Parts: sequence; structure tokens; C-alpha cells
Amino acid sequence: MILDYILRRLGLLLFMLLMLSIFTFSLAYLFPGDPLSNLSGVPSNNFSQNTQLEDKYLYNSNYFTQYIAFLGRVFQGDWGLSFASGDNVFSHILDLLPATLELSVYALIVSIFIGVPAGILGSAYYNRWPDKLINSTTIVGYSMPVFWLALLLIMIFSLKLGWFPMSGRMGLLYEIPPTTGFMLIDIALAGFPYKGMAFTDALHHLTLPTIVLAMYPTTVLVRFTRESMLKIMDQNFIKTARAKGLNRRQLILHHALRNALLPVIKKIGLQFSTLITLAMITEVIFSWPGIGRWLIDSIYQRDFPAIQGGLMAVSLFVILATIVTELLYSLFDPLSRNQAHGKV
Amino acid sequence: MAKFKVFSEESNKSPLARFWRKFKNNHPALVGLWVFIAFALLAASAPFLAPYGVNQQHSDALLIPPSWHEMGDVRFILGTDDLGRDVLSRLMNGATYTFGLSVVAALLTTIIGVLVGTFAGISRGIRSSFLNHLLDITLSIPSLLLAIIIIAVLGPGLMNTVWAIILALLPQFIHSIRNLIVEELSKDYITAFKLDGASNWHIISRGIFPNIYEHIVVIFTMALSTAILDISALGFLKLGAQPPTTEWGAILAENLGLIYLAPWTVALPGVLLFLAVLSTNLVGDGLRQVLKERKAD
Repeated sequence: MILDYILRRLGLLLFMLLMLSIFTFSLAYLFPGDPLSNLSGVPSNNFSQNTQLEDKYLYNSNYFTQYIAFLGRVFQGDWGLSFASGDNVFSHILDLLPATLELSVYALIVSIFIGVPAGILGSAYYNRWPDKLINSTTIVGYSMPVFWLALLLIMIFSLKLGWFPMSGRMGLLYEIPPTTGFMLIDIALAGFPYKGMAFTDALHHLTLPTIVLAMYPTTVLVRFTRESMLKIMDQNFIKTARAKGLNRRQLILHHALRNALLPVIKKIGLQFSTLITLAMITEVIFSWPGIGRWLIDSIYQRDFPAIQGGLMAVSLFVILATIVTELLYSLFDPLSRNQAHGKV
Repeated sequence: MAKFKVFSEESNKSPLARFWRKFKNNHPALVGLWVFIAFALLAASAPFLAPYGVNQQHSDALLIPPSWHEMGDVRFILGTDDLGRDVLSRLMNGATYTFGLSVVAALLTTIIGVLVGTFAGISRGIRSSFLNHLLDITLSIPSLLLAIIIIAVLGPGLMNTVWAIILALLPQFIHSIRNLIVEELSKDYITAFKLDGASNWHIISRGIFPNIYEHIVVIFTMALSTAILDISALGFLKLGAQPPTTEWGAILAENLGLIYLAPWTVALPGVLLFLAVLSTNLVGDGLRQVLKERKAD
């Protein structure tokens, strides 16, 4: 049965990838300018070059053949050239995506470690002052525009107090060979060079962007965990347990928590899409060399191949993350496997 | 939570009256509602209320701090920017763009979302499966990225931003409406209605809508707060409203270079944005709370 479920999910994944690739392909025609140069990233200059490109991209055959050729190129890693730099878009993405992932993953970890316990606390003290405090803090955090929060933190912690640097991933003094693209892992792999000072410097650079990025998912998780706990605490098996004479601590830790945290796992998976959105703005403000800032720059420069490639990479990542968390969720919760087809 | 009432007095008020009664008791939500109404009025009447024109420059009064500051001038209550434009007038007019356009965007999203969501909710079989998977895929593209791509197709500008935001908000909206409809469809009273021979149109208009329109309002507030955040974020990234326009995010981005010299030109639009989103969220939270409480009694 679990195998059946996994197969069904894989089918869904394939369908989503198909739609995504069709959408990306059609963007070349939707964007302003010549579709051929939007696909290839080579501005049309002379006739011979044009005919060469037309041959390579099968530009004169029907859309379906062109799409198949497009798929082939996607798998070969030939995602066209960037208008701005003239380099292969795919190699850009390989360079930039880890920086964004690093930031988002740390922010997600922070938000899980703060959000879930805060939500549990809120539900344990339902309608008393800890709950009210947590509730009002979350609604303030929830309503804060992310760019304004980033500017406020920069104003206070970077300009006034000078505790944290305001831009970049790493001080210019240090040079770390990029092996995985994840800064902290790279430093660890290089054996903590510069007596560990590079590591602390990287942590310093990470602090403010991580806080800014973690704000929204944290508030979402607090609210969701609290709701989920309250829903469980209202059910009959909890009342039975209470009637048996268990105290509140036992009730929450042994009975309510396990059931309440299941939907939270699913919710965490859904956060990736929001996280990437917010990461784009955060990266622009903190000059973080990630894919979000690159995408925004690509818009300013009308770099259409880069936008297409970025869209494909980012959505691919979000889709994979969603599917993986859903699979995890169904591993933990047998009830969820019994869903009918096409239910969301 | 007590499941019985001590006083056996029966309350036969209409659902809406009970709704308002409960909402009134939630003070933060009530304050949020007043602020929300104030923003709506401001958005509608800003050009008549504002003391100065949006682009009127006072060359004798550059970078004057707010009037409570000792260097301030009472003619310009919230100070002026580097071109000598009155910050208060600009911010008031900004309400029309940021708040007013967000309301328009959220309303349009609601209309389209309810139509498509209802269709998705009542359709069965392969059509429903296809629609849902299509929703899944659009949900997996981050909303700002989707908006940015739409802007790349249409070109930057305020109206294009509104379209982009509507399209980016829609998948989530349709998804929520569809879930509401599917949940309602599985209830017994709808089955009974169906057995009585009600057509699809009857089931939707007489059976389901009277029961979910309050939930639609809640979803609307969520869409509105996202719309405000997205419009201002796009303005801030210089992809939405372009600088002479007084959209709050655009004002913020325009004055970013003055952050040392004139922090109020950066802080004030942010405060207004925060208040607008906060009031919307407070109202939405209050509504949701009331719906839950009314269901309980």
C-alpha cells in the first residue's frame, strides 16, 4: 500500500514537472523580443549565426518538436546563455542556488526551533498571559513587511550598534575554496582555516538575514502548532486520559504532542515556497549572492534566459521539497495514505 | 471550555447579529476594524484631504524633520523630503495606491477565485483531477517569482503589478474556496437537498453560499494583507510603481539613500505599511475567532 502511494506521488511529480517545463518553454514566446534569442541567449546579429541557431533549436519546425528539443537541452545542462554575462545559465544557477538554500534552510531550522515550542507553550497556557503574549507577538511579526524589518535591523544592529555586518556572505579577508557551495560546510571541510575566525565571521554575516527570513515562517508555525494542539486537546481520547488521572505534562508530552505535530510536518514542507519568495527580497537588501538577487537583477537587465532558468531551478526545488515532506508525512501518519486520487 | 450554559435564556438573534456581538467583544479586532475603515476612507479621499500637492516642491524647505522635532516646521507636520515635498501629503496619497489598489486587487481575486473555486469544487473525475494538479503546480511557484515573471512579460508599471498580484494570489484563493465547497458538499443537509431534486445551481446558491460567505470574507482579508505586502514589495524592488508615484514601497525605496540624513522619510512609510497590514490581519483574525466561537455554541 505504501508502495502504491509512493508510485502515485511519483506520477504527480512527473505531471508537475511536465507542466513546469511546458510553462518555462512557452515563456520564451511570451517574453518581449525574439523567441529564438530568448531561448538561446544569443542576440541575433547576423544571418549566418541566425541560421545556425535556427538549425540547433529546430526553430522552423512545429512547437512540439521544439519542445522536445528544449527538454533534451534541459537534461544536457544547456540552459542557454545569460544576456548579461554571456555565460551558461546552468553554471550560474549551480553557483548561486546553494547560497539561497543555505540561507533558507537555516531560517527554516530557526523557525522550527522557535515556532513549534512557542506554539505548544501557547496552547498549554491557552488564554492566559503566555498565550496572549505569544499571540500578539506573532501577529506583529506576521504583519511586518520583510524589507522594512530588514532595514530596521540594519539600522539598529549594523549602523547604530555595529554588531553585525550589513551585507555579503563572508568578510573579504578570507578565502574559502567552494566545494559544496554551503559556506559553513565548506569552512568545516577546509578544516576551520584562519583559526576558526572565518567560521565566526560567516556566522556573523548569516545572523541578520537568517533572523529576517525566519520571522514569517516562525509566526506561521507558531499559529499552526497552537491551532493543531488546541484541536487535539479538545478530543475525546485526551479527556479519557485526563479522567484516568494523568497530569497536564503527561497529557501534552505523551498523548497530544505526537498527534498534533503530524500536520505541522506537512506545514513545514509548504513553507519552502514562501521562504524562497522572502529570500529574494532579503538577498537584495543584504547583498547576499544567491539566486534571488540574481533573478531580480535579471529582471532589471531584461535577461530572459536567466529568468527562465531561475524559474525552473527554483520551482523544481520547491516541488521536490514539497513531495519529499509529503512522503515523510505519510510515512509517519498511516491515515493520510488512504487518500483518493487528485485530492489535495 | 464549558459545554453547557448556566442561564437557560435562549438567544434567537440572527447569525449576523450574533456575529457582530461577538466581534465587538474582541477589542484588538475592533480597533483593527476602525483603523481599517480609516485607511479605506483615506484611500478614497486622500487627494482632497492632503494639504499640499503630491509633487509640489518647496525649495525653501528641504529635508525638514517632523514638526515635533526642534528643527521642525509646523507647516510640514511629518517633514519634507530632499526635493522639498511634503511627506504627509505624499503618504496620504500613498494610501490610494498601496491600500486602495490592494483592495481592488483582492476584490477582483475574490470574484474570479469564487467562480473558479466553485467550478473546481463541484467538478468530478478527470476534470477535477486536472484542475487540482494545475493548482498544485502554480502553488509551487513562489508568488513573488510568479508576479515577477508576469511583470517580465507585461513590463513594469503599477497596473501590470496589480494584474500580476491578482494572478499570483489566485491559486491559493481557488484552493481555499475549493476546499470549503468540497467540505460543505459532503455534509448531510446537502445530500438531503440533492435528494429533494435540487440542481447544481440551487445547491451552490441556496445551500452552500449562505453557509460559507463569512469564510470567504476571512480568505479575502488574508488575500488583502498579502496583496498589500506584495504591491509594496514590488514597489520597493522598483518593479511596480515607479518613483514619482506615491506608492509606499516606492517612497521607501526612493528615500533609501536618505536613511542617514532623514530617517523619517524611510521609517514613516514603513510604519504605515505595517499598520495597514496589521489592521487587516487583526480584522481577519477576529473574524476567524468569531466564526469558531459561533460554531461552538
